[in-house]
Amino acid sequence: MASQLLPLELIDKCVGSRIWVIMKGDKEFAGTLVGFDDYVNMVLEDVTEFDYSGDHTKLKKILLNGNNICMLIPGGEGPVALPSSSSP
Amino acid sequence: MENGNTSQSEGKDPSGFLGEITGNPVIVKLNSGVVYKGELQSVDGYMNIALEKTEEYVNGVKRRSYGDAFVRGNNVMYISADS
Amino acid sequence: MPEEESAPVAEPLDLVRLLLDEIVCVKLRGDRELKGRLHAYDGHCNMVLGDVEETIYVVEDEGDEEEVKTVSRKSEMLFVRGDSVVLIAPQARSS
Repeated sequence: MASQLLPLELIDKCVGSRIWVIMKGDKEFAGTLVGFDDYVNMVLEDVTEFDYSGDHTKLKKILLNGNNICMLIPGGEGPVALPSSSSP
Repeated sequence: MENGNTSQSEGKDPSGFLGEITGNPVIVKLNSGVVYKGELQSVDGYMNIALEKTEEYVNGVKRRSYGDAFVRGNNVMYISADS
Repeated sequence: MPEEESAPVAEPLDLVRLLLDEIVCVKLRGDRELKGRLHAYDGHCNMVLGDVEETIYVVEDEGDEEEVKTVSRKSEMLFVRGDSVVLIAPQARSS
Protein backbone atom coordinates (compact mmCIF):
# COMPACT_ATOMS: atom_id res chain seq x y z
CA MET A 1 0.00 0.00 0.00
CA ALA A 2 1.50 3.25 -1.13
CA SER A 3 1.84 5.80 1.65
CA GLN A 4 -0.38 8.73 0.83
CA LEU A 5 0.76 12.32 0.88
CA LEU A 6 -1.45 14.46 3.07
CA PRO A 7 -2.49 17.83 1.61
CA LEU A 8 -0.56 19.81 4.22
CA GLU A 9 2.51 17.65 3.61
CA LEU A 10 2.35 18.61 -0.04
CA ILE A 11 2.30 22.29 0.91
CA ASP A 12 5.17 21.69 3.32
CA LYS A 13 7.20 20.39 0.39
CA CYS A 14 6.59 23.71 -1.36
CA VAL A 15 8.26 25.80 1.35
CA GLY A 16 11.10 27.69 -0.30
CA SER A 17 9.70 27.35 -3.81
CA ARG A 18 7.36 29.36 -5.99
CA ILE A 19 3.65 28.75 -5.53
CA TRP A 20 0.52 29.98 -7.26
CA VAL A 21 -2.46 30.71 -5.04
CA ILE A 22 -5.96 31.04 -6.47
CA MET A 23 -8.48 32.69 -4.19
CA LYS A 24 -12.20 32.04 -3.98
CA GLY A 25 -12.92 35.39 -5.67
CA ASP A 26 -11.33 36.88 -8.77
CA LYS A 27 -7.88 37.10 -7.30
CA GLU A 28 -4.61 35.20 -7.57
CA PHE A 29 -1.17 35.45 -6.01
CA ALA A 30 2.19 34.06 -7.06
CA GLY A 31 5.17 34.08 -4.73
CA THR A 32 7.80 32.15 -2.84
CA LEU A 33 6.27 30.21 0.04
CA VAL A 34 8.08 31.14 3.24
CA GLY A 35 5.79 29.37 5.71
CA PHE A 36 2.24 28.52 6.65
CA ASP A 37 0.15 27.38 9.60
CA ASP A 38 -2.62 24.83 10.20
CA TYR A 39 -5.24 27.19 8.74
CA VAL A 40 -3.09 27.53 5.61
CA ASN A 41 -2.50 31.19 6.35
CA MET A 42 0.62 31.67 4.25
CA VAL A 43 3.69 33.88 4.34
CA LEU A 44 4.75 34.67 0.78
CA GLU A 45 7.77 36.58 -0.51
CA ASP A 46 8.37 38.43 -3.80
CA VAL A 47 4.68 38.31 -4.50
CA THR A 48 2.67 39.33 -7.52
CA GLU A 49 -1.01 40.01 -6.88
CA PHE A 50 -3.26 39.50 -9.92
CA ASP A 51 -6.56 41.35 -10.11
CA TYR A 52 -9.48 40.12 -12.14
CA SER A 53 -8.92 43.15 -14.38
CA GLY A 54 -5.48 41.89 -15.36
CA ASP A 55 -3.67 44.42 -13.18
CA HIS A 56 -0.81 43.13 -11.13
CA THR A 57 0.88 44.52 -8.06
CA LYS A 58 4.26 43.53 -6.64
CA LEU A 59 4.59 42.97 -2.92
CA LYS A 60 7.77 42.12 -1.00
CA LYS A 61 6.36 39.96 1.77
CA ILE A 62 2.81 39.24 2.87
CA LEU A 63 0.75 37.19 5.27
CA LEU A 64 -2.15 35.87 3.23
CA ASN A 65 -5.34 34.95 5.09
CA GLY A 66 -6.07 31.27 4.48
CA ASN A 67 -9.80 31.82 4.74
CA ASN A 68 -10.32 32.76 1.11
CA ILE A 69 -7.84 30.44 -0.54
CA CYS A 70 -9.35 28.09 -3.10
CA MET A 71 -6.44 26.30 -4.77
CA LEU A 72 -2.65 26.03 -4.54
CA ILE A 73 -0.44 25.18 -7.49
CA PRO A 74 3.17 24.28 -6.66
CA GLY A 75 5.71 25.86 -9.01
CA GLY A 76 3.10 28.11 -10.60
CA GLU A 77 4.00 31.64 -11.65
CA GLY A 78 0.44 32.92 -11.92
CA PRO A 79 -1.81 33.48 -14.89
CA VAL A 80 0.96 35.19 -16.91
CA ALA A 81 2.93 32.00 -17.52
CA LEU A 82 0.30 29.60 -18.74
CA PRO A 83 2.23 27.12 -20.89
CA SER A 84 0.66 25.86 -24.12
CA SER A 85 -2.91 25.54 -22.94
CA SER A 86 -3.97 25.60 -26.59
CA SER A 87 -2.57 22.36 -27.96
CA PRO A 88 -3.44 21.47 -31.60
CA MET B 1 -1.24 32.74 14.76
CA GLU B 2 -2.00 31.14 18.07
CA ASN B 3 -0.56 27.78 17.21
CA GLY B 4 3.08 28.51 17.79
CA ASN B 5 4.22 25.71 15.52
CA THR B 6 7.57 24.35 16.54
CA SER B 7 8.29 22.58 13.26
CA GLN B 8 9.18 25.83 11.55
CA SER B 9 11.91 28.26 12.47
CA GLU B 10 11.25 31.76 13.84
CA GLY B 11 10.36 34.50 11.41
CA LYS B 12 9.25 32.10 8.73
CA ASP B 13 5.76 30.92 9.63
CA PRO B 14 2.82 33.32 10.07
CA SER B 15 3.39 34.08 13.76
CA GLY B 16 7.09 34.63 13.15
CA PHE B 17 6.32 37.03 10.31
CA LEU B 18 3.88 38.94 12.49
CA GLY B 19 6.51 39.28 15.20
CA GLU B 20 8.89 40.58 12.58
CA ILE B 21 6.56 43.32 11.27
CA THR B 22 4.83 44.37 14.52
CA GLY B 23 5.57 48.06 15.11
CA ASN B 24 6.41 48.62 11.45
CA PRO B 25 4.44 50.24 8.62
CA VAL B 26 2.15 47.72 6.96
CA ILE B 27 -0.45 47.50 4.22
CA VAL B 28 -3.66 45.67 5.08
CA LYS B 29 -5.89 44.73 2.17
CA LEU B 30 -9.48 43.71 2.78
CA ASN B 31 -11.57 41.36 0.67
CA SER B 32 -13.60 44.40 -0.44
CA GLY B 33 -10.45 45.87 -2.01
CA VAL B 34 -10.15 48.66 0.57
CA VAL B 35 -6.57 49.18 1.74
CA TYR B 36 -5.37 50.42 5.12
CA LYS B 37 -1.82 51.65 5.62
CA GLY B 38 -0.50 52.21 9.10
CA GLU B 39 1.79 51.06 11.87
CA LEU B 40 0.95 47.56 13.06
CA GLN B 41 0.22 47.53 16.78
CA SER B 42 -0.97 43.95 17.13
CA VAL B 43 -2.70 40.98 15.54
CA ASP B 44 -4.58 38.10 17.18
CA GLY B 45 -5.53 34.58 16.15
CA TYR B 46 -8.59 35.78 14.22
CA MET B 47 -6.36 38.19 12.26
CA ASN B 48 -8.08 41.07 14.02
CA ILE B 49 -5.63 43.94 13.57
CA ALA B 50 -4.85 47.10 15.53
CA LEU B 51 -3.27 49.87 13.48
CA GLU B 52 -1.84 53.27 14.38
CA LYS B 53 -1.66 56.35 12.11
CA THR B 54 -4.03 54.66 9.70
CA GLU B 55 -4.83 55.84 6.20
CA GLU B 56 -7.74 54.43 4.22
CA TYR B 57 -7.49 53.98 0.43
CA VAL B 58 -10.45 53.17 -1.79
CA ASN B 59 -9.54 52.36 -5.41
CA GLY B 60 -6.05 53.67 -4.68
CA VAL B 61 -7.40 57.06 -3.59
CA LYS B 62 -6.86 58.21 -0.01
CA ARG B 63 -10.21 58.64 1.66
CA ARG B 64 -9.61 59.17 5.35
CA SER B 65 -7.22 58.88 8.21
CA TYR B 66 -7.74 57.41 11.65
CA GLY B 67 -5.46 57.77 14.66
CA ASP B 68 -6.07 54.22 15.74
CA ALA B 69 -8.08 51.59 13.97
CA PHE B 70 -9.31 48.11 14.78
CA VAL B 71 -9.93 45.92 11.74
CA ARG B 72 -12.03 42.78 12.21
CA GLY B 73 -10.07 39.78 10.98
CA ASN B 74 -12.70 38.14 8.78
CA ASN B 75 -12.42 41.04 6.33
CA VAL B 76 -8.64 40.75 5.94
CA MET B 77 -7.18 39.35 2.73
CA TYR B 78 -3.53 40.02 3.49
CA ILE B 79 -1.07 41.92 5.63
CA SER B 80 2.03 43.13 3.84
CA ALA B 81 5.17 44.85 5.05
CA ASP B 82 5.02 48.40 3.62
CA SER B 83 8.16 49.03 1.61
CA MET C 1 3.12 36.57 19.72
CA PRO C 2 6.11 38.49 21.09
CA GLU C 3 5.29 40.69 24.05
CA GLU C 4 5.58 44.42 23.62
CA GLU C 5 7.02 45.99 26.74
CA SER C 6 3.78 46.66 28.67
CA ALA C 7 2.11 48.10 25.58
CA PRO C 8 -1.46 49.25 26.18
CA VAL C 9 -2.51 47.35 23.08
CA ALA C 10 -1.23 43.80 23.58
CA GLU C 11 -3.98 42.45 21.36
CA PRO C 12 -6.25 44.21 18.88
CA LEU C 13 -9.41 44.11 21.05
CA ASP C 14 -7.54 46.08 23.74
CA LEU C 15 -7.82 49.00 21.36
CA VAL C 16 -11.61 48.65 21.47
CA ARG C 17 -11.52 48.43 25.26
CA LEU C 18 -9.77 51.81 25.32
CA LEU C 19 -12.69 53.24 23.34
CA LEU C 20 -15.37 52.31 25.90
CA ASP C 21 -17.59 55.32 26.70
CA GLU C 22 -15.97 57.24 23.84
CA ILE C 23 -17.53 58.30 20.55
CA VAL C 24 -16.51 55.74 17.97
CA CYS C 25 -16.81 55.39 14.22
CA VAL C 26 -17.78 51.90 13.07
CA LYS C 27 -17.57 50.87 9.44
CA LEU C 28 -19.93 48.07 8.49
CA ARG C 29 -20.30 45.82 5.48
CA GLY C 30 -22.54 47.22 2.76
CA ASP C 31 -21.21 50.81 2.86
CA ARG C 32 -22.70 51.70 6.19
CA GLU C 33 -21.21 53.68 9.02
CA LEU C 34 -22.19 54.30 12.59
CA LYS C 35 -21.06 57.07 14.87
CA GLY C 36 -21.98 56.85 18.51
CA ARG C 37 -20.92 56.22 22.08
CA LEU C 38 -19.56 52.74 22.73
CA HIS C 39 -21.34 51.30 25.75
CA ALA C 40 -20.34 47.66 25.43
CA TYR C 41 -18.69 45.14 23.13
CA ASP C 42 -17.61 41.50 23.15
CA GLY C 43 -15.08 39.28 21.41
CA HIS C 44 -17.27 38.94 18.33
CA CYS C 45 -17.38 42.73 18.04
CA ASN C 46 -21.05 42.69 18.93
CA MET C 47 -21.59 46.20 20.25
CA VAL C 48 -24.07 48.43 21.99
CA LEU C 49 -23.91 52.04 20.85
CA GLY C 50 -25.78 55.03 22.22
CA ASP C 51 -26.81 58.30 20.48
CA VAL C 52 -26.02 56.78 17.13
CA GLU C 53 -26.03 58.32 13.71
CA GLU C 54 -26.14 55.75 10.94
CA THR C 55 -24.98 56.78 7.47
CA ILE C 56 -25.65 54.66 4.40
CA TYR C 57 -23.78 55.41 1.18
CA VAL C 58 -25.82 54.71 -1.92
CA VAL C 59 -24.29 54.93 -5.39
CA GLU C 60 -26.86 56.08 -7.89
CA ASP C 61 -26.12 55.34 -11.51
CA GLU C 62 -27.85 57.95 -13.62
CA GLY C 63 -26.63 57.59 -17.18
CA ASP C 64 -22.95 58.42 -17.16
CA GLU C 65 -23.02 60.10 -13.81
CA GLU C 66 -22.32 58.11 -10.69
CA GLU C 67 -23.60 59.93 -7.70
CA VAL C 68 -22.96 58.89 -4.14
CA LYS C 69 -25.90 59.77 -1.94
CA THR C 70 -26.02 59.40 1.79
CA VAL C 71 -28.97 58.44 3.89
CA SER C 72 -28.80 59.16 7.60
CA ARG C 73 -30.87 58.22 10.58
CA LYS C 74 -30.49 58.49 14.31
CA SER C 75 -31.26 56.09 17.11
CA GLU C 76 -31.03 56.41 20.83
CA MET C 77 -29.45 53.04 21.29
CA LEU C 78 -28.71 50.06 19.10
CA PHE C 79 -27.07 46.65 19.04
CA VAL C 80 -24.62 45.82 16.27
CA ARG C 81 -23.99 42.21 15.38
CA GLY C 82 -20.24 41.66 15.18
CA ASP C 83 -20.13 39.80 11.89
CA SER C 84 -21.01 42.93 9.92
CA VAL C 85 -18.21 44.99 11.47
CA VAL C 86 -15.28 45.97 9.28
CA LEU C 87 -13.48 48.65 11.29
CA ILE C 88 -13.72 50.40 14.64
CA ALA C 89 -11.93 53.68 15.26
CA PRO C 90 -12.11 56.72 17.51
CA GLN C 91 -14.19 59.44 15.89
CA ALA C 92 -12.71 60.15 12.45
CA ARG C 93 -10.72 63.34 12.09
CA SER C 94 -11.12 64.01 8.39
CA SER C 95 -13.23 62.76 5.55
